[in-house]
Amino acid sequence: MTVPAPISPATRTVDLWKRVGAVLGGEGPLPVRVAEAALLVTGARDATLYLRERDAWIRTGENLAEGAAPEEVPEPLPPGVFRREGDLWIPLEAEGELHGMLRILDAPPAELPENSAMLAFLLGSLVGAHRLSRQVREAEFELKARLLELESLYDLGLSLGGQLDLSALADEVLFRSISLTDAGKGTLILFEESAAVLLARSVGGEVLAAEDAAGWALPEGGVINNAAAAGPTAGMQLGTCEKCLAVAISVPGRRLGVLAVADKESRDGRVLDFSATDARLLSLFANQAAGAIETARLHKDAIEKERFERELELAAAIQRELLPHDLPVVPGLEIAARNVPTRQVGGDYFDFFPLSQGRLGFIVADVSGKGVPAALLVSTVHAAVHLQIDEAKTVADLIGRIDRHLQRYAATRKFLTCFFGLLEPDTGQLRYVSAGHNPALLRHRSGEIEQVRATGVPLGMFPNSTWKEESLVIAPGDLLCVYSDGITEALDASDEEFGLDRLGLLLGAGSPSEICGNVFDAVRAFAAEVPQYDDQTLMLLRRADRVG
Amino acid sequence: MSESCKVSSERRGDVALLWTDGYINNQGGEEIAREAYSHLEQGARALVLNLEKTRIVNSIGISILIEVLERVMDRKGALAFCGLTPTIDKTFRIMGLAQYARIYTSQDEAIRGVSAPTA
Repeated sequence: MTVPAPISPATRTVDLWKRVGAVLGGEGPLPVRVAEAALLVTGARDATLYLRERDAWIRTGENLAEGAAPEEVPEPLPPGVFRREGDLWIPLEAEGELHGMLRILDAPPAELPENSAMLAFLLGSLVGAHRLSRQVREAEFELKARLLELESLYDLGLSLGGQLDLSALADEVLFRSISLTDAGKGTLILFEESAAVLLARSVGGEVLAAEDAAGWALPEGGVINNAAAAGPTAGMQLGTCEKCLAVAISVPGRRLGVLAVADKESRDGRVLDFSATDARLLSLFANQAAGAIETARLHKDAIEKERFERELELAAAIQRELLPHDLPVVPGLEIAARNVPTRQVGGDYFDFFPLSQGRLGFIVADVSGKGVPAALLVSTVHAAVHLQIDEAKTVADLIGRIDRHLQRYAATRKFLTCFFGLLEPDTGQLRYVSAGHNPALLRHRSGEIEQVRATGVPLGMFPNSTWKEESLVIAPGDLLCVYSDGITEALDASDEEFGLDRLGLLLGAGSPSEICGNVFDAVRAFAAEVPQYDDQTLMLLRRADRVG
Repeated sequence: MSESCKVSSERRGDVALLWTDGYINNQGGEEIAREAYSHLEQGARALVLNLEKTRIVNSIGISILIEVLERVMDRKGALAFCGLTPTIDKTFRIMGLAQYARIYTSQDEAIRGVSAPTA
């Protein structure tokens, strides 16, 4: 039988430190490895490691670090290794700085293990290096966070530059603002030009109510209120938050919105103060947002304008269809008529209605207003005349029926003037109603001009109105001129109107068709470059000279 | 997007799949860490974090994700992200998360990625 050779103390020591080295170099969180190494050396059953973090002791373990309970670490600390209530406390120091305390729980009451000094030195160095490494990593993290801010500003500029959707734009700005200020919540509100709320977004909770935002007076650079829980910010009471930072989103001369973040987070759950750096960052975001929002708004306006113009073109096409394509051919009458709208859709309307026994009905109407609403009313008048003309007993009855139709069905509350005539070409007998319309001109063969004045108020103006029907005779060679005020009220550069006299002078020479051309040429020459805002309509009827 | 982050998870073999919904801040990060550590304790070797319902991450959330990543690396495991918005993708790359965790476009790719034997 062989007796094993005794193991020397030196061999035991080497073996122990080999095992300590294996534990410290193994897997798992460093604090756990440190505690395991300590147990190996001391022979104790349990150990805890406390690390010094920002003037507080943090108990470290397998899971997340936890703050130590008050007085858990006995302070002031005695110098060197000491015992307290059965536990052995080993300071972990390196290069004169205390990095942590290793607490060996229920350490044997015997004398301190011979390797304690070596253990303290080794673990102290390791924890110190670990702490230093973590500080370096934290500094690196901070540096990366600043880089992220710069990159975000750059990215935001790029991304907002092409972003024309206001809603997506608002999300982008709000998300980045909350993220980069570490805020717990944030709100972005955009205003219409009228200061009404255009859009409101919140993440994590509402920092301020949209209806209150318009009343906020925010100076350039924004407002930091790190005591928001205690009182109002910028004169306004906030939602539930402890600290807030708010900046205005504005372009020169106009505020577009408000961007507010609240409750800056920390890793240990505290709510931190917002800093001037946070305010600068948020202001930069707000400035970038303002430019992009203005661009998006202009784009939206341009799209709406384009859509409006398309609608106008459609309405104009419909209205053109309402005007007669061909002039009626009536024996004994020479007829000319023309309409020149000043916008895509005008408010003038004329029409002819060949009736039984050779009679001819005609109308010239001028609707108040312009654009689509005026076109709708013209369309309604057109429908009403065509519906009622066969039913009406007299011209006055027809005008009354049209008026009632308008009062009942017109989509817009507008009115119109009109001249409706019913002519018997054989006799020249004209029965007419002029509902508030400009005086028609009857140019007699002799050259004398007679004004045919209104016989009642415009249509659609007052309920239950009535119109007086008048009659006159258009003698052979006489010319009746019915027009809209766009002709006589055309303005020149000195704001002078074309007027009835100039119109009257043009009625004497040529056929109705030639006169019509002359009138429009004369009006155009008179107005020259001055833009005209009223439609121009002219209708001419001349009774043919008696043969022989 | 939810006001507070919700985390759900599922185990597929030795891979734990975590879905986040909402802001990854301190609270959201803690939720992720709690769920992740629970799976690691139960033997998961790799984690896949699907962030398709998350549009904001702050620096506290990132620091917690780094802690989770370190814990996984201590255990010689693997961590992958998927479903990142372009902004979060860039944030993770700048903040160094992409240095040790892998980023995939789809969840299936991520699962295959962390399941593949490492060289």
